[in-house]
Amino acid sequence: MSVAPVEVAEPTVLTDYPWITLVWNDPINLMTYVTYVFQNYFGYDKAKAEALMLDVHHKGRAVVSTGSREEMEIDVKAMHSYGLWATLQQDK
Amino acid sequence: MFKRSLTGRVTLRLEEFEKNVLQDFIREFANLVAVPDEPAETDPLARMLGMNGPTEISDDPALARLFPHAYLDDAEAAADFRRYTEPELRGVKVKATQTVLESMALEAEKITLSNVEQLAWLQVLNDLRLVLGVRLNITDGEREDPDEPLFQVYDWLTWLQGTLIDSIA
Repeated sequence: MSVAPVEVAEPTVLTDYPWITLVWNDPINLMTYVTYVFQNYFGYDKAKAEALMLDVHHKGRAVVSTGSREEMEIDVKAMHSYGLWATLQQDK
Repeated sequence: MFKRSLTGRVTLRLEEFEKNVLQDFIREFANLVAVPDEPAETDPLARMLGMNGPTEISDDPALARLFPHAYLDDAEAAADFRRYTEPELRGVKVKATQTVLESMALEAEKITLSNVEQLAWLQVLNDLRLVLGVRLNITDGEREDPDEPLFQVYDWLTWLQGTLIDSIA
């Protein structure tokens, strides 16, 4: 049995806020393509994927996933590989 | 165009001239995104780990669109993300063009596409549209110069990608 490492107190409370992946609207990607990517990559059902796509289209951006910074970097990289314009930031 | 058969197979049928146009644009695209020659001083360990990418966004608007900033208000984090991810993303895009070109090299009039080939086609067609769209300065509004011949290619790629999405979605 290993000894748990000593917890070092976090110097800031900012780490309590989750990170988010944002997808931004662009005039080239097809709406059907964006929906397909949300379904295929995130595993969202069609209704949720379409709702997110419409948010991107009408509001200019949508939060497509939430989690740790590392998880959001993986999602942003995946969105870039699909040609979607995505960024991550802390949700504060 | 792409079609899904009753048995679920996804097939592609292209005229010879359509193949030629696609091959030309795909090869040009592959050259655009291929990883540029590395500077001599690159750290070998960083190169081995694929962490030797650029830290600055490209001056070429098409490349800047393909590899955008991942952080909007943290330049240092954006540079790190780019250094760690851009070489791999470029490699994935080039690999997809190879898969697509190989599937098109078949003499068959109608090509049946595997799942891997379907995804490669989807991403390559989208990448071609992104690059052309940036070059043509496509916006949600009216087209600046609708008679520009590249618009015909762009619109055809849009239609072709639509038939693929209809076949797999």
